Amino acid sequence: MIHLQNVTKVYQTKVIETTALHNINLEIPDGEFLSIMGPSGCGKSTLLNIMGMIDEPTAGSVTVAGQLIRDYHSKATARFRNEQLGFIFQSFHLINELSVIDNVELPLIYRRVSGKQRRRMAEEALTQVGLSNRMKHFPAQLSGGQKQRVAIARAIVGQPRIILADEPTGNLDSAMGNEVMDILTRLNQEQGATIVMVTHDETMARKTHRLVRLFDGQQVSGNPVKTI
Amino acid sequence: MFSNYFKMAVKVLGRRRFFTGISLFGISFTLMILILLAAFLDAELGAHQPLSDRDRLVFLDRLIMKLEAQDTVYQIDSTLVEGQMAYDSTPVINNRNRSYSSSSLSYSFADQYLHDVAGAENHSIYSSMFNYDLFINGKKLTFEAVYADEQFWEIYDFQFLEGRPFRQEEVENEGLVVVLTEEAALDYFGTSEGVLGQYVEMDGKQLQLIGIVEELSNSKGFLSGEAYLPLSLANPVVLNDDSFHGPFEMVFLAQSIESRATIKQDLERIASQVAMPEPDAYNTLVLMPADFMGRYAHSLFYMNDDPERSQQVMFIVFGALILLFVLLPTLNLINLNVSRIMERSAEIGVRKAYGAHSQHILLQLVFENIILTFIGGFIGLMLALGMLYLVNDSSILPNTTLRFNLPVFVYSLFICLAFGIISGLLPAWRMSRIQIVNAIKQNQL
Ligand SMILES: Nc1ncnc2c1ncn2[C@@H]1O[C@H](COP(=O)(O)OP(=O)(O)OP(=O)(O)O)[C@@H](O)[C@H]1O
Ligand SMILES: [Mg+2]
Repeated sequence: MIHLQNVTKVYQTKVIETTALHNINLEIPDGEFLSIMGPSGCGKSTLLNIMGMIDEPTAGSVTVAGQLIRDYHSKATARFRNEQLGFIFQSFHLINELSVIDNVELPLIYRRVSGKQRRRMAEEALTQVGLSNRMKHFPAQLSGGQKQRVAIARAIVGQPRIILADEPTGNLDSAMGNEVMDILTRLNQEQGATIVMVTHDETMARKTHRLVRLFDGQQVSGNPVKTI
Repeated sequence: MFSNYFKMAVKVLGRRRFFTGISLFGISFTLMILILLAAFLDAELGAHQPLSDRDRLVFLDRLIMKLEAQDTVYQIDSTLVEGQMAYDSTPVINNRNRSYSSSSLSYSFADQYLHDVAGAENHSIYSSMFNYDLFINGKKLTFEAVYADEQFWEIYDFQFLEGRPFRQEEVENEGLVVVLTEEAALDYFGTSEGVLGQYVEMDGKQLQLIGIVEELSNSKGFLSGEAYLPLSLANPVVLNDDSFHGPFEMVFLAQSIESRATIKQDLERIASQVAMPEPDAYNTLVLMPADFMGRYAHSLFYMNDDPERSQQVMFIVFGALILLFVLLPTLNLINLNVSRIMERSAEIGVRKAYGAHSQHILLQLVFENIILTFIGGFIGLMLALGMLYLVNDSSILPNTTLRFNLPVFVYSLFICLAFGIISGLLPAWRMSRIQIVNAIKQNQL
């Protein structure tokens, strides 16, 4: 589903040059639930952003759903992103000016979906994450766990084939974290979504199909998780 | 799609009250100034009474006489040759003006040469202002009087509050009649109502008041006197003086806007054919016609004898004012918009991550901006209406009534739209090109 070939990412600033990713090769088959672990600053978010076509690699090629990504700014890439991908960001990134339901509708705005249909789909997604009673709230009125669930609803509302989640449980307590993890697992099992999740939590990672470890921008392992 | 942008804009603006408030303040203030400026320019330069036909008018108030002679002039050059200054002179044949005289026209010149100018449908001869002191009830009044023919009233459509203009037989036969402005009537009689038919003593004559016209703004100095009298009442010495210079000017009503050029060409032809009375003193005659803008500019910024120069000066002065009043607030607004939009980079990053492309973002931001400007425009309009009322009520611009009319409204709408687009486009464009990750990282939501 996602194929990274010799992907390298170098950040060039005035003072120093940081190699965030060094020659990464990764093949993620359709329907896999993959987790990525590694110490802070090792390049996990960078890797996820490159998979999500919102960051350009310095070298190497990215293929998503069979398509080699060439132009990151084209309309076609924007549409492709809209249809194929759902993002869950490290720090929610909800739009404060919009209500919960409007936030969830966001991906559908950039598609040909009628207003009624949009509302229906957003309500459905919010029901899936157990937030159907908070639709008219604004993000500032929600707890961290609720915000994260809104972010998940937004990621799944367009029924993308790939979900990229950057520490979706990082800001939550373990009960909340487990709940979010359950939602993701359900999406993977019932809807066959391919999921890539960055996490710091070994127990969460163990619930996925495969764990990739990064260290200093380099892939150090990529073994299937042994189910206990 | 547009209803989406609209809803989104309303939501965003409503939730970001602080920024919306600041932007609205800037926009409404700027637009108020623009609307006032438009109203002012319209009042001054628009086609209003008595200049409804201003686009077809050619004014002639300058007659120049010159003595031109070919002359040998020596141009002196100097160079340093072997440490010594060497001088060399070159003779050049040149046209030189030896004397020059410029003034308005005499009645006899206008009467003799300028009745039949090609391209003109009508014309009028009238005097510049003559000052008369009037004494009434021990009080001294000074009236500026214009002696005019009957065509004066055909070409300039003065607004008559009461009565009528003078007629041909009155112009020809020294009819003892006068037209006053409302203010002059008020000064003289103590009231401007019910005084038609009464007498005004001026220049030792008892003149019957036959009409009252509305006062003109001072900037139309070339038309705005207090009293208008039939031409034949002017001093016979002045009327019969057969020199070319005198206290009169003319206006021609062109058959069409284009035939103003014909009139100017014909005036040039006439000037070249007139026999100069004393060729030793002056051998060349130049007539200096002007369009409305030139004439208007000339009465504000008198630039030698050239209405076109005056017009250039006027455009520079007005342009600088407009620049000051328009450019600064616009820059300020753009600046405000830049920070308003830049502050939202994270939101824009998220939208793009979810499939918005540059065009969506650009449209959304510009749309928001247009809505903002129209709300600001509405407030600005209200402020401007209030200001118009205050300005008209006070004596800041005496005799200029600023009106809020259809053209001003259309300018305002246009200004709003242009403002909304221009001030939003630059930041929106920059924002729409931003790299998604950078946008998201730049600040947290
Ligand atoms: N825009 C940037 N400019 C310069 N360096 C950057 C930029 N973004 C990331 N980096 C650097 O790249 C490296 C990888 O960053 P990344 O955000 O991918 O780390 P991470 O593994 O997600 O860390 P964390 O677990 O703390 O989220 C870091 O050393 C970081 O400093
Ligand atoms: Mg990270």
